[in-house]
Amino acid sequence: MFKHLFKMIWNKKKQNSLLIVEILLSFMVIFAVFSFALNSYSNYAKPMGFNYDKVWAISYNHTLETTNPDSVTLVYQTLLRNIKSMPLVVDASYHSGNVPFSNNHSTTGLTQKGVQVTGINDFFTDENYVSTTGTKMLSGRWYNKTDAITKSTVIVINNTLKEKLFGKADAVGKMLGDNPKTRQKIIGVIADIKNDGDYQVAAPALYNRHDTSAYKWMGKILVKVSPEADAAFEGKLYKLMAGSLKKSNIEIEHLDNKLTAYNKFTLVPLIILSIVAAFLIINVALGIFGVLWYNINKRRGEIGLRRAVGAPGAAVSAQLVYEALILATLSIIIGAFFAVQFPLLNVFDLPASVYLFAMLFAMIFIYLLVLVCSLYQGKQAAAIYPAVALHEE
Amino acid sequence: MLKNYFKIAIAVLKRRKFFTFISLFGISFTLTILLVMTAFIDKVVNDNYPDKKRDRSLYISRIELRGKESMNSSGLSYSYISRYVNKMKTPVKIAISSGFGSTNTYVNNRKIVINYKYTNTDFWDVLDFEFVEGKPISKQQTDNAERVTVISEDMKKEYFGDDNSPAVGKYIEADNIKYRVCGVVKSLPITSYLLYSDIYLPITTSKTKLDADKGYMGGYGAIVLAKNTGDVEKMKKEYAGIVAKLPIPGKEWDHIYSHADSYIEGYVRTGNEKSSGMVYAFTAITLFALFVMLLPTLNLVNVNITRIMERSSEIGVRKAFGASSKTLVYQFIVENLILTFLGGIIGVVLSVVVMYFINDAQFIANLNLSLNFTVLGYAILTCIFFGLLSGVYPAWRMSKLNIVTALKAQ
Repeated sequence: MFKHLFKMIWNKKKQNSLLIVEILLSFMVIFAVFSFALNSYSNYAKPMGFNYDKVWAISYNHTLETTNPDSVTLVYQTLLRNIKSMPLVVDASYHSGNVPFSNNHSTTGLTQKGVQVTGINDFFTDENYVSTTGTKMLSGRWYNKTDAITKSTVIVINNTLKEKLFGKADAVGKMLGDNPKTRQKIIGVIADIKNDGDYQVAAPALYNRHDTSAYKWMGKILVKVSPEADAAFEGKLYKLMAGSLKKSNIEIEHLDNKLTAYNKFTLVPLIILSIVAAFLIINVALGIFGVLWYNINKRRGEIGLRRAVGAPGAAVSAQLVYEALILATLSIIIGAFFAVQFPLLNVFDLPASVYLFAMLFAMIFIYLLVLVCSLYQGKQAAAIYPAVALHEE
Repeated sequence: MLKNYFKIAIAVLKRRKFFTFISLFGISFTLTILLVMTAFIDKVVNDNYPDKKRDRSLYISRIELRGKESMNSSGLSYSYISRYVNKMKTPVKIAISSGFGSTNTYVNNRKIVINYKYTNTDFWDVLDFEFVEGKPISKQQTDNAERVTVISEDMKKEYFGDDNSPAVGKYIEADNIKYRVCGVVKSLPITSYLLYSDIYLPITTSKTKLDADKGYMGGYGAIVLAKNTGDVEKMKKEYAGIVAKLPIPGKEWDHIYSHADSYIEGYVRTGNEKSSGMVYAFTAITLFALFVMLLPTLNLVNVNITRIMERSSEIGVRKAFGASSKTLVYQFIVENLILTFLGGIIGVVLSVVVMYFINDAQFIANLNLSLNFTVLGYAILTCIFFGLLSGVYPAWRMSKLNIVTALKAQ
């Protein structure tokens, strides 16, 4: 039977080829939208890794007039102590400019046993970081006061970096990097933080213990406050900052607001893409509907003849539905050939499973679309009376 | 003749309402997407508030150092501008401003985020801000480092409340310092990020000493204004000459890049010399437009072929009476253009509605999309392109139709 159907399709190859191209293109469009959406969703489903609620990020810039390193250190250490002693402040820590959900990124690369890893987020922070953000240590420990504040020989890495470098094995106690001069000992592995918002994957990261000269350029203080903290309290915190660092520009941002703003970068393109794709698909669906409808009208004679020699209505409608589905299958085979290149060539660096699922969903979607369009037409065809149809001929 | 075609086209449209609906839907929605996109780009790129003198201005906003392994790109330092840009001979005025930074202020237990920008006196001459009240910061005020500020209309509303009493003379607190308001200007959308700010402060009140940093990199940018449009090219060359002679600041670098750009070049510059922003933006937009247009066009071709084949008897009769293929192709393309223009009109109406909703929802504050003549021009061009693209192939297929089969089909 399939052989016969193929023959019928082949006989009208000119008309069908256009239809195939159209279905093929809609398959690609849906594939793109699903890949994007699935990737965002799979990232969204992963835990954030820290508690950003009621964490504020204070920005300052180094404008102290003294150049004596000891007094610089003293000013900044006193400032942090004063912030911590405020009521409603749970904890506070210095952080480099690349705090979560900011557009500021600082990345580095390293080679471990000849394997090169690039795009590693480079964070600088202090011993209060874990208690401020509520991040979990997966193994080993976080920095404490006994770690030398000068040239650091120990380091904490995040889980993604650990898995890239050591796989399932424990990383604590191992040395990081191949260069004997700069290598550091790993003392802990920290849970991943989705630094780029809900919908982006957590990048590999290094958490460095900052040294005293870093106060000049770090530029951020993360402060965890208790739930009662309001704008009036924030004003007080602001005054404290402005009073301690007189010539600095101060800004206090809330991480939850920053997250909302940052998420828009991913969501807005996705929403626009989905709206455009939805319209394209409606368009295509109407087109397929129209073309099939015309085909059936043209084949009234043929259908009438089949009915006259005893084919039941169901068989007629099944033939039309099968024909449409074979057309869809041909398009999907070609489409899958293009789509499968994405995971094979590792375009855009997304996990292969996302592409495969997107392909699967796009396939189901196209089949459903074609099925709905052709079922209605098949029903119409089944309703053709042989006498009427043959009379017209 | 054309009148006849028009009549036939309308008659055909009425005959198969479902097909007409498919065609019109496809055309109008595609056009709506393209129109809203062009309106947005047109607004972002061509809106000349407040830089009306754009045709004789060049924007110098970034400097990039490049070495074998490292790359560093940022705004300019004030000392760089005063040492090199200010020495240029062609410009008549040089506007200097910092990139916008943010700070908070707390009024009545309410937090307000304020974006601020330091500006010199020429800034107010080079740019034509629309003053709702008051006037720009004067040269004397700048020289004396007076704590005065020009604020945006939005900031006035947010800080002083919605009543229409004048804000000039009142004080606004930012960064723990009180500034006296001397003028209120019409707000800008954040998309014109080179000039956007909530409050504009005199450059001399900057908390860091202006020439403390002797390096090239910092947070400032400059707009150089030529005497007339003819001098712009000369100004560009002069700056390129200055950059070519810049001493390289360290041995890790081997190249310095900095450009005096026209507005659009500057707007899309990515901060990476190796990848041109212009090419990137252009490719992205073209790809998107093609992607949006390809499917509906294919769909139209499909539907058009179907429609034409339905009319095979009409075509057969006309051919039998001696109509040439050319006449038939011409007729069909005209019919198709009429159809596209009908879709176009619906599309324009739809896009006005969509733009109204976008403006109403205030996705980007102060960015008001509108349908102007440029956008309408693009719309007509797209319509013609569409009509031709989707009409030519079916018309060609139709003209190839054999008279005998065409007549027999009935």
